Amino acid sequence: MTDDQSPRRDSARGADQAYTALGYLISGMLIWGFVGWLVDRWLDLGGIATAIGVVMGVALGVYLVVKRLGA
Amino acid sequence: MVRGLAAEVPWPPSVDDFFLPPIAGPDNWFTKFTLFVWVAVAITIIFFLVAYRNPKLVPTKSQWIAESAYGFVRDGIAKDIIGAEGIKFAPYLASLFLFIAFNNLWGIIPGVQLSPNTHIAFPAFLAIISYVLFIWVGVKRFGFAKYIKNQLIPPGAPAWLLPLVIPLEFASTFLFRPLTLALRLFANMFAGHVILLVFTLGGFVLLGSDNFALAGISIVSWAIAIVMTIFELLVALLQAYVFVLLTSVYVQTSIAEEH
Repeated sequence: MTDDQSPRRDSARGADQAYTALGYLISGMLIWGFVGWLVDRWLDLGGIATAIGVVMGVALGVYLVVKRLGA
Repeated sequence: MVRGLAAEVPWPPSVDDFFLPPIAGPDNWFTKFTLFVWVAVAITIIFFLVAYRNPKLVPTKSQWIAESAYGFVRDGIAKDIIGAEGIKFAPYLASLFLFIAFNNLWGIIPGVQLSPNTHIAFPAFLAIISYVLFIWVGVKRFGFAKYIKNQLIPPGAPAWLLPLVIPLEFASTFLFRPLTLALRLFANMFAGHVILLVFTLGGFVLLGSDNFALAGISIVSWAIAIVMTIFELLVALLQAYVFVLLTSVYVQTSIAEEH
C-alpha cells in the first residue's frame, strides 16, 4: 500500500495544518501576552511587558509552525 | 388577514427561537430535541438492520446505499487518513458521521427546520468523545509519558526554548482541538438556522409592510430562503464530513511515530 500520499489525504492534512497554524499563532499571543500582562500588573510597567509577551508569543508561534509543519 | 399574520411573526429572530416548548417528563427532560435525536438514531439503526438483514452478493438498492455510506467513511476517511490501522476505527467514525449528518438534516426538514446541533451541548459531547478517543489511542500506543512527550516536544527544538513552546503545544493540542471541533459544528448549524429564520420571517414582515413595492419583495426573500435551504443541505453533510475527518486526523497524529 503506497497510497499514503493520496490527494484526499493531502487536502485533509492541509485543512488540519491550517487550523494548527492558526492555533499556534493565536495561542502564542494569548498565553505569552497574558503572562506579560500579569508581569505588567505586578511591576506596574504600563504595558511594555504585555507588548513584549505578545511579540514573543507570535515569534514562538511562527517557530512552531515552521518546526511542526515546515518541510 | 395577511397583515394579521405578519404582525404575529416574531421579529427580529432571537436566541429564544432555538428553544422549543418541552413535551413531557419530570423537569421536562423529554424535549422536542430528545425526540429528534431518537428518531434520527432509530432511522439509522433500522435502515442498516433492514439493509443488512439479508445481504446479497449483488446488492439490493438499500444494501447498496448502506454499503456506500459505510464504505465512504471506511475507505475515504479512515483508511485514507489513518492508514491500514484506520479500519478498526471505521465503525466509530461511520456512526459518528451518520449521527451528525442525520441530526444536521433536521435543520432543513420542513416542519422541523431546527437541528439539535444548534445547541452547544450536542456538538460539545461529541467533541469530548473524540477528544477522549484520540488521547486514549495515543496513550495506549506509546504509554502516557512518551505520548505526552510526542505531542508537546517538537523534535529538534533546543532545550532552552522548551519551557516557552510547551505551553503553546499544550494549548493547541489539548485545548483548541476539542473546542474548535465543537464550536465549528455548533456555529455552522446555529448560523444556518438564523439565516433561514431571517429570510423566511423577513418575507412575512415585508409582506405586512404598508409599502406596496416592499410587499412584492417578500417573494424574493422566500426564494432566497429556498436557495439557502439547499445550501444548508450541503453544509449539513459537509460539517458531518469535516467533524469525522478531523477526528481521524487527530487519531492519526496521536499514533504516528514521527511528526
